[in-house]
Amino acid sequence: MSSLLGLLAQSGMSLGAHSAASATASHNLQNANTPGYARQREALSAVIPSELVGGAFVGRGVELLTIAQARDRFLEAQIPGALAAAASSSAEAEALRSVAALDPDAAGGMVDALGAFFSSLRQLSQDPGNTSLRTAVIASAQGLGHAFNRTAQELDDARVALDRSAEGRVASINAASAAMAELNRSIRVARASGAEPNDLLDARLRLRDELAALTGASAVPDGDGNINMVLPGGGSLVGGDRAAQLGTTPNAANGGHVAITLRSADGQTRTLTSGSLGGTLGGELAARDGALAQAQAALDALAFDVGGALNAVHRGGVGLDGSTGRDLFSVGATAAGAARRIQVDPAVLADSRAFAASSSGATGDGANLAALLSVEQQAGEGLGRILSDYGVAAQGADIRRQHGEAQRDHLQALRESASGVSIDEELIHMTQAQRAYEAVMRVIKTADEMLGTLMELK
Amino acid sequence: MRVTDRMIFENARRDTMAARQRLEDATREASTGMRVTHPWDDPAATGLLVQRRLAGARWDAQRTSVERAADELSVADSALDSVANAVSRAQQLAVQLSNATYSAGDRAGAAREVQGLISDVIGTLNRQVGNRYIFGGTADGAPPFDATGAYQGDANVRSVEVMPGVNVNTSVRADVYLQGSGGGVDVLDTLRTLQAALENNDPAAISGTLDDLATGVDQVARARAEAGANTLLLDSAAAAARVASDQEVVAGAALSEVDVIDAATRLAHAERALEAALAATSRSFAKTLLDTLR
Repeated sequence: MSSLLGLLAQSGMSLGAHSAASATASHNLQNANTPGYARQREALSAVIPSELVGGAFVGRGVELLTIAQARDRFLEAQIPGALAAAASSSAEAEALRSVAALDPDAAGGMVDALGAFFSSLRQLSQDPGNTSLRTAVIASAQGLGHAFNRTAQELDDARVALDRSAEGRVASINAASAAMAELNRSIRVARASGAEPNDLLDARLRLRDELAALTGASAVPDGDGNINMVLPGGGSLVGGDRAAQLGTTPNAANGGHVAITLRSADGQTRTLTSGSLGGTLGGELAARDGALAQAQAALDALAFDVGGALNAVHRGGVGLDGSTGRDLFSVGATAAGAARRIQVDPAVLADSRAFAASSSGATGDGANLAALLSVEQQAGEGLGRILSDYGVAAQGADIRRQHGEAQRDHLQALRESASGVSIDEELIHMTQAQRAYEAVMRVIKTADEMLGTLMELK
Repeated sequence: MRVTDRMIFENARRDTMAARQRLEDATREASTGMRVTHPWDDPAATGLLVQRRLAGARWDAQRTSVERAADELSVADSALDSVANAVSRAQQLAVQLSNATYSAGDRAGAAREVQGLISDVIGTLNRQVGNRYIFGGTADGAPPFDATGAYQGDANVRSVEVMPGVNVNTSVRADVYLQGSGGGVDVLDTLRTLQAALENNDPAAISGTLDDLATGVDQVARARAEAGANTLLLDSAAAAARVASDQEVVAGAALSEVDVIDAATRLAHAERALEAALAATSRSFAKTLLDTLR
């Protein structure tokens, strides 16, 4: 009698285990498309017999030990790095490829303007006193100045746009860091109850991936079950249940572009160096302070050098108005910002006769033009180098992007294979749990009938 | 390897997007004909392309300058032809009227004709192309000869660059060939001397101008020969600049433009690849247990 009642009791427990298996499969199916979700699987175990009956241990059914996530730790450890590398190179490539000012065939671009300016000089050399040709030279010089101005402005606009992007990303990073610190705390509390908080673990892993992709931070688990996030330069972004805060501040040493600051959980603030960040934020800053800044500086140097060389020749010539010692371009005293500043000297702009084509002052003397034309090669080579160097940088970033994304996609495919939900598999598992549940129900019914038979004994 | 539904959809998304991107790239290349639009498309070609574009512009400008210079030289040659005719006519008059059989009236009439010739020559030598006096050297902003026939221009010669570092003269030195600087005769002065001799009815003095007139004819002929030779050089340089410009265009196109057959082939391949990706994707979506468990 007592064993039949025990059979009913253990069947009830077994029903619960199979019901949990069915619920787990259902949970998996419902989260089949949830990003970062790892399929869960119940761990069932036969209940250890405690009673010896007639010289044998009679089994006591099945119990639910736990519900665990399917995660491959080896893969999971590699994923933050792959996400960070792909995000960094992708952000850098996108930023560099957004600039059209350096396209070789851009209408009104540097190549056109440089060609037009030296062509106008060459045409004037045939008839240096010709007013129309002189006007054309001044117009093309103005066009060259504007092309420098416009190209420098577009490069600067691209860098400023990356400043605004960095400010937005910093806000996202701070929100994710705070949420991750809170999840570290919640998971510690949940684990104190003895069960694995699988869905909290999934949420924390999603934030880990997000922070890795945004900042290049690596994940460092500790003995308390926390996942701490450490920036590439060593700064702690998330430490247990405390999160640092990123901020932005104008950097005068970098033309007023923003620098990223890290305010640690204990309130200390420091400015992060360029190598201290990775991921999307690091990639965008690398584009801003790398190829874009180099192109801007090289353009400034080209404007300063070419403008300076043309000025030196022009000062030695004589205008139709008899003026001499006058600059052709106003470029300023230093190379920094020269491409933004360069413009035709106001006196030359106001009167084309002030353009010093000759060395003697005679209307037909174009001796000074030959010297002005000798600057053409320097200008052409300089411009070619700027475009080529920028192309190499953008192409290199794009190659790294392709490689990084391939590596990321490969690891994510492996992660999906290990942790993802297969609808077919879960349907089979659910059916399997349903059959087991039905079988246990049959056991209960049989035990009930046996008990009834026993109770009917008179 | 476990294959999950999310993996199937993710692979389908990525593969389809990649195929679409390749099709988009192939379509852009085929429709624009351009292989290098941005510096990162081919950095090495971009650097060369800048040189090609500038060189093309340089040759075009050079050709324009050379053609203008050749036009000016043609005008100069035409003017020198008129001067040569005038000096030859003066030479004829000098030969004819140095003969003692002619009367003072005949010589006075011839003197008036020579005066007309002098005016014509001065007018011809003050000819302009546009606003430019072509016989003034680099002092081309004012008439090179005043009313008396005195030269007001300078001793410089204008030139034009026909290729980097190589210049060809585009003006005739009136100071040398007409004024006689450096050992020649002053043609206008000789004509004035003849006019005076005719007015003075002095056959000996008339005869005395014959050598200088012959030298003058020779000087003008040499000036024309030089102008003609330089015109030929300029014509040849203009043709060479045109060819060089075309070559730069061709070389630039080789760097930046796609081969049409290659582009069409890549476009066809990209279309097929996208069709295959879409077909494979739709098939993989169809195979699931959900379709059989009803």
